[in-house]
Amino acid sequence: MTNNSSRREFVKRSAALVAGAIVLPQIIPSTALGKGGKLPPSDRVVFGLIGAGSQGMSDLRDFYRLDNQVQFVALCDVDASRLSAAKEAVDTANKSKGCRTYGDFRELLEKEKLDAMLIAIPDHWHGIIYSSVVNKKINVYGEKPICRTIKDGQTIVNAVKKNGIVWQTGSWQRSQPHFHRACELVRNGRVGKIKSIEVGLPDGGRGIGTPPVQDVPEGLNWDMWLGPALKVPFRGVSHWDWRWILDYSGGQLTDWSGHHIDIANWGADLEHTGPSEISGAGVYPPEGIYDAPFEYDFLCKYANGIEMRVANASRFPLGMGATWYGDLGWIHVDRGNIISASDPKLLEGEIGENGIHLYQSDNHYQNFIDCLRSGKPTIAPVEVAYRAISVGLLGEIAMTTGQTIKWDPVKEEIIGNPRASRLLSRPYRQPWTLPTA
Amino acid sequence: MKKKYLFLLLVAGVLTFFSACKKEGHYNALIITGQNNHNWKASSPILKQLLDQTGLFTSDIIITPEKGGDMKTFNPNFSKYDLVVLDYNGEPWTAKTDTAFLKFVRNGGGVVVYHAADNSFPEWKEYNRITGLGGWGNRNEKSGPYVYYKGDEIVRDDTSKGIGGTHGARNEFLVKTRNSQHPIMKGLPANWMHGTDELYSLLRGPAENMEILATANSGNRGLNRPAVPTPAGAAAVAAAAAAQAARAARTAPGAPGAPVAVPARPSQPARDEPMLMTITYGKGRIFHTVLGHADEGGGPAMKCVGFIVTFQRGAEWAASGKVTQEVPFDFPSAAGAVLRPDFKEITLDEALANIGSYDIAKSTKNLNCLRYHIRKVAGDEQALLNIEKKMVYILQNKDATVDSKKLLLRELSWMGTDYSIPAIKELTSTEGLKDEAGFALTRLQSAK
Repeated sequence: MTNNSSRREFVKRSAALVAGAIVLPQIIPSTALGKGGKLPPSDRVVFGLIGAGSQGMSDLRDFYRLDNQVQFVALCDVDASRLSAAKEAVDTANKSKGCRTYGDFRELLEKEKLDAMLIAIPDHWHGIIYSSVVNKKINVYGEKPICRTIKDGQTIVNAVKKNGIVWQTGSWQRSQPHFHRACELVRNGRVGKIKSIEVGLPDGGRGIGTPPVQDVPEGLNWDMWLGPALKVPFRGVSHWDWRWILDYSGGQLTDWSGHHIDIANWGADLEHTGPSEISGAGVYPPEGIYDAPFEYDFLCKYANGIEMRVANASRFPLGMGATWYGDLGWIHVDRGNIISASDPKLLEGEIGENGIHLYQSDNHYQNFIDCLRSGKPTIAPVEVAYRAISVGLLGEIAMTTGQTIKWDPVKEEIIGNPRASRLLSRPYRQPWTLPTA
Repeated sequence: MKKKYLFLLLVAGVLTFFSACKKEGHYNALIITGQNNHNWKASSPILKQLLDQTGLFTSDIIITPEKGGDMKTFNPNFSKYDLVVLDYNGEPWTAKTDTAFLKFVRNGGGVVVYHAADNSFPEWKEYNRITGLGGWGNRNEKSGPYVYYKGDEIVRDDTSKGIGGTHGARNEFLVKTRNSQHPIMKGLPANWMHGTDELYSLLRGPAENMEILATANSGNRGLNRPAVPTPAGAAAVAAAAAAQAARAARTAPGAPGAPVAVPARPSQPARDEPMLMTITYGKGRIFHTVLGHADEGGGPAMKCVGFIVTFQRGAEWAASGKVTQEVPFDFPSAAGAVLRPDFKEITLDEALANIGSYDIAKSTKNLNCLRYHIRKVAGDEQALLNIEKKMVYILQNKDATVDSKKLLLRELSWMGTDYSIPAIKELTSTEGLKDEAGFALTRLQSAK
């Protein structure tokens, strides 16, 4: 079937739908139809979902809240019970029973033709699944942090560039007016020349010790959940709480790098570069299967002289969020509409016509859809997301090695430290490999 | 026989000579104890051990007469010392001793006020200016204000009526750093779980020239740790809250099962109470820790690394105004309390000797110790190789556990050299370790 014939068929089916006839609930993605892949304004975006957990379903609901602009047709999860719950929710939203389900993303990619994929899976899977989807030229809304290792991140960024797809990272703070406002004020010199930045991310919670090995819950494909990570017996930790185990995530630090480091970078115009020197220390749990640092504190020095300190929020007087310190004062921003400054006057007034106006989005999900239609970059493109998480990952390497890491942000490599360089990637368990673009 | 005595005398003389010579960075400490509503026979030798093992102190214990005894015989020569540690809660000393002690502090002597020492001498005004805050002994609004934290603000002017000093049931609780820049606190985590202890609250006193270094929330039963946004964490918090509510209901007057005829504890507002403080008095520096309730053998409050380390650092600061001790690898985080069964930090050799018996359900303290030393010698190839050789030795040891080898392979994967490769290759065909050995080999060879 050529693209043209499928287009005709799609038009026919659409006509039938308008005429009120009963049709098979088959949806044909618009971007798959023509070259260039721009989505006509009238068509709904045909979506797939990989990862039907709490974040994935929350994102999915947000897409459905956009007035009739999306339709999810294929869902994938390694947990059958989550998958069936997701199907039920999506079928209800679609008013149809036709949404297809998969336990293996490879099968989904083999069989489905999609405009876009929503992906919300544990970090250790990001390198493989993001790259595989992008290599199929499917546009992606992908959850942060976009990678578990620097190498995973580089692979994903290259795949996105090579395939020319539209990418939106789930760093939704960028689409909140007060974060945008804070960054724009800082970019326009309200704090003067930036000298330092503080980024407060959440403190670690409590450990759970080492729960006993237990039966894998019915329907959970544990081997597939682990995927490229080392094989371990099931101890009751999978969904959500994977975040506190270094095989899958870097803890609160990497979870939140995609939010507040991302915002700090946006305000300081560091979105397309990285630090040149990183040093710091973490506090690691004394026992149990959670091994991510419960506290962390590291300093990043940039070539332009800016110093960014990233630490768990309790270590900063202003707590969570990003604070830019310049020679004229400071501005702090955090969730909950919090924006404050050393002098309230710094926050007043409009940015003039000749000032710097940052990309504006007031709905993170709509922004993705709009960009699918316009072909323009999203508010949270892949390269920028990679630069945000790479700060967290380099901090992790500095804390692991106990050394000051020298990083070349242009070549994106660690300088003169093979031991630290080994930590830029994690070997994958057979048979998994990182796909190349 | 005579010769032997002569020899001993000589040795004693030499020792006296050396202890009389004050070395820079070495301090003499005097621990005062002998009367206490707490087990001072358990606590005071431990305090001595903690001071002496820093290598910074030579400490003596002086025991006062028993209750009702002749206090005139208690006449310490304060001038010999740089630091006085107060583990005493008892009858008044003589006026002469009081004066000598005050003179010692005013002239720049250091003091550590330990746990119930702040209960002592409610009537002695100058003593209370040294401790800053105190409790019990009929202390009330006349003793001074309550001092505590409200959010991020310190409250110093709460002169409301009420008792001075109380504590709830003993429990683990979270200690929060309030001044991370103070030499005593520098490099410590922002929050750490303290071993089961009494959480002193509602202390009151003159609180002059007093700074709060750390607080704990008196409303908590070990639960004021920042909430983890996880279903498991939320469930645990909810369950504990329910248990607490149930406890409260049980003890409510008239509730079934409520204890009969037990006077109700004074109501205890949930607030961030001072746990660690510094005070200055004249030229003297005082470190006040309310932590460390002693059971026989010390108990979890004294075995807690948080207590031990803040006590040691506080003592050095009080004696010298600076802290040269490093933060040890086993300092706790909010993840959970860490206890040292014998009060000592484990050495790398001890960690390496014990790491081979690790299984996943055990403490990772030996591994954490190893990691700490790997980080500490980072950049020193020879030192790293020495550690690596010992790690490989465990990998090759047939008696070492699979779990211990898994942990070592993770570390070697990034810090190892060619030296490790044959031993790791060997394990790529060992059941249970194939994946980890493959992982280590791949990573090790990814950059040289």
